[in-house]
Amino acid sequence: MDFALTDEQKMLADGAARYVRERCDLESRRKAAASEDGFSRRHWRHFADQGWLALTLPEAAGGLEMTVEDMSILVEELGRGLVCEPLVDSAVTCAHLLSASGSEAARAILADIATGEAIVTLAHLEEGDHSEYDAPVASRAERIDDGWTLSGTKTCVFYGASATHFVVSARNNGDDGYGLFLVAADADGIRREGYSLIDGTRAADVHFDNVRVPASALLHEPATAATVLESALDRAVVIFGAGVVGSMEAVLELTSEYLKTREQYGKPLASFQALKHRMSEMLVETEQARSALYSALAAIDSDDGQRRRRAISGAKALIAQSGHFVIGEGIQLHGGIGVTEEYAVGHHFKALIVYDKRFGDSDFHIERCGQIPAEEPQAP
Amino acid sequence: MDLQLSPDDLAFRDEVRAFLRENLTPEVVYRSHTEVHPPNEEDRRWWNSVLNRKGWAAPSLPVEYGGTGWSPIRRGIFERECRLAGAPELRWQGLRLIGPVICEFGSEDQKKRYIPPILEGTEQWAQGFSEPGAGSDLASLKSTAILDGDKYIVNGQKIWTTEAGYSELGFFLVRTDTTSKHGGISMIIIDMSSPGITVRPIEMINGDPSTFEVFLDNVEVPRENLIGEPGTAWQQTKFLLANERTSSADIDKAYGDLRRIRAIARREHKNGRPLIEDPGFRQRLTQLELEVEALEWSVLRVLCNAPSHHPSAASASVLKIKGSDLQHKLTKLATDALGPRALRLYTREQAFNAQISALWPGYVPGVTHDMLYMRACSIYGGSREIQKNIIAKIAFAM
Ligand SMILES: Cc1cc2nc3c(=O)[nH]c(=O)nc-3n(C[C@H](O)[C@H](O)[C@H](O)COP(=O)(O)OP(=O)(O)OC[C@H]3O[C@@H](n4cnc5c(N)ncnc54)[C@H](O)[C@@H]3O)c2cc1C
Repeated sequence: MDFALTDEQKMLADGAARYVRERCDLESRRKAAASEDGFSRRHWRHFADQGWLALTLPEAAGGLEMTVEDMSILVEELGRGLVCEPLVDSAVTCAHLLSASGSEAARAILADIATGEAIVTLAHLEEGDHSEYDAPVASRAERIDDGWTLSGTKTCVFYGASATHFVVSARNNGDDGYGLFLVAADADGIRREGYSLIDGTRAADVHFDNVRVPASALLHEPATAATVLESALDRAVVIFGAGVVGSMEAVLELTSEYLKTREQYGKPLASFQALKHRMSEMLVETEQARSALYSALAAIDSDDGQRRRRAISGAKALIAQSGHFVIGEGIQLHGGIGVTEEYAVGHHFKALIVYDKRFGDSDFHIERCGQIPAEEPQAP
Repeated sequence: MDLQLSPDDLAFRDEVRAFLRENLTPEVVYRSHTEVHPPNEEDRRWWNSVLNRKGWAAPSLPVEYGGTGWSPIRRGIFERECRLAGAPELRWQGLRLIGPVICEFGSEDQKKRYIPPILEGTEQWAQGFSEPGAGSDLASLKSTAILDGDKYIVNGQKIWTTEAGYSELGFFLVRTDTTSKHGGISMIIIDMSSPGITVRPIEMINGDPSTFEVFLDNVEVPRENLIGEPGTAWQQTKFLLANERTSSADIDKAYGDLRRIRAIARREHKNGRPLIEDPGFRQRLTQLELEVEALEWSVLRVLCNAPSHHPSAASASVLKIKGSDLQHKLTKLATDALGPRALRLYTREQAFNAQISALWPGYVPGVTHDMLYMRACSIYGGSREIQKNIIAKIAFAM
């Protein structure tokens, strides 16, 4: 094992860190959040220019074929700077679903994902669903002569109002599972209602009313769709998890700096032992989160489905829990300034809450882990 | 010991319930139950006057000044019933903080001038204690009030002043004697429309401004606005806090939160059945129910001056720590029960005017907004860490 970053990874991390330092202050983040997109088109162009959107895409689509690890290194840095763009939704989750499909249409869109022209997002959750992993899917796909018509309502579709394309789950009468379809966002019969989320990202309810798509829109048949979707979600969970670890690191830095400069009772807050201990506990939890992240990264491409599930779900739960403690205490140690919009620590907290509630919360993932036995330690 | 409510108390509870049923409207109840911060100001002022007509506006004031004369238990019953029925929560600053202080320490003129509008709700108050450099260490505050003939000239800056932007009056801690480090602090009443006062809203983590910065620039304040003798603010502040020993337990809100969580969990589903039947969820909910019920007994013990094994002066801190910890957990469980729906941003106005649909049921707006705001409850009113310092000192001389 070797935990050191390769030169290439170092360059990636440094480049992202520099960009965050120079271009992503809290003010610009708040401005992006207030915009119609909920993200910044300027950042988005930069992402494309840097090749970040192409990082994990296949070479044939102009991609760099780098790994989930590489992407998580990038996203950790972006998480530190509270940068939120449809990077993971489009260039990881949906790109995985597209590249795993044999469809011609998919390949063309992948190239557009790499350049940033296409923003593809997953339209999967429906009324009352709590997790993408076990969403039952009631939307319908009906076969017509030369293709399909899709009907149903999807909710909490991230970047739903800005997306150029959706990957939509829908089931055909009589089929056991659901299929996954690629649909242009401007197709007839689609209506979108956007709203802001607590962290400033935008999401939408997307209504599909007899939307006609060609036969080639079917990316994955019901027989394989759920499995492919699971591995796409796994990638998103791990990479977003790296973003949360980045948030935690940023909060450690912000808070320890603040305690050294803020004085009460005639001395720096950092001189109070209670607060030193709290900072130490926050570090302990951050380290746990990072280790959970690594264990998930180690399992992400494993063929052993049980092992992968346990590592991914375990990391999801632990990162969310540690993050809640670390960032929550980061707020606490700042006092009043910590609970304002004008200061970064509260934004990190909201980013964490979004992570916790997406893809199923900690309760969901611990339960999912619990269904898989832990490996017994092996005698050497 | 008699650990039961008396028949008279139960009859009183029925009377309160009947009154609430008759006087609250569904719109007001909806707005109260969203638990947004700050709550709807018009609702609170209106309710203040409704209660005043009944003589119930000010349980915390002495009877001779318009108080109700209720026992602490009755007051507790009244507040619980109001909360659960969805009555607007009256603002504290006037009724519960400065009102009692004026009755105890104020001049006859001050009582005549300020108490009636507090009872009627026509004048609302802001509490100007904290400053940028004086949070936990309040004694290091720097704002000054210098006597100049028959008026004080006030200068300085306050921060986190809740609801200052729409309050008629404020009570401020200021230094009237600038020579001593800890002494010389006085409490003074300032008309918020005075020339020289500028107020800036601070947007809080839930997306709405509820606290304000208050800049005081050569504000002229009549000499008679000082409360009691100059330099006696600590005595008044201590009295003010002693009056509110149990309120930081937030017990009524905790019961409201539990009810809200159960209502959500009956409608949301997990593994094909109502969330409320999910064993993991039930475990978390029951744990919190038990802790809230125990906290209720802790509050009752303090209200009834129960003999204690530990110095009673530490009990307010005990209640505050437990109460704020429970607030964090209760509001988190409520958002957890909502699943991804919890992520939608509802500002206060959006929550009040939310379009309700099957996708976005009426129990969604306000839940996350409240959870985010309640991160502040372990910071305001003496932070969790400061309360721990107090307990160590009072209970263990450490
Ligand atoms: C929502 C909200 C509403 C408020 N409303 C009002 C209001 O209406 N009127 C008003 O006057 N004030 C109000 N406040 C201010 C509140 O009382 C202060 O925020 C509080 O006293 C803490 O002060 P601070 O924010 O300056 O934090 P600091 O005092 O700087 O504390 C920062 C951190 O250090 C810790 N700390 C400080 N000293 C010690 C120590 N000795 N040992 C260990 N840890 C320590 C604190 O616990 C905290 O975690 C409000 C605050 C909030 C957040």
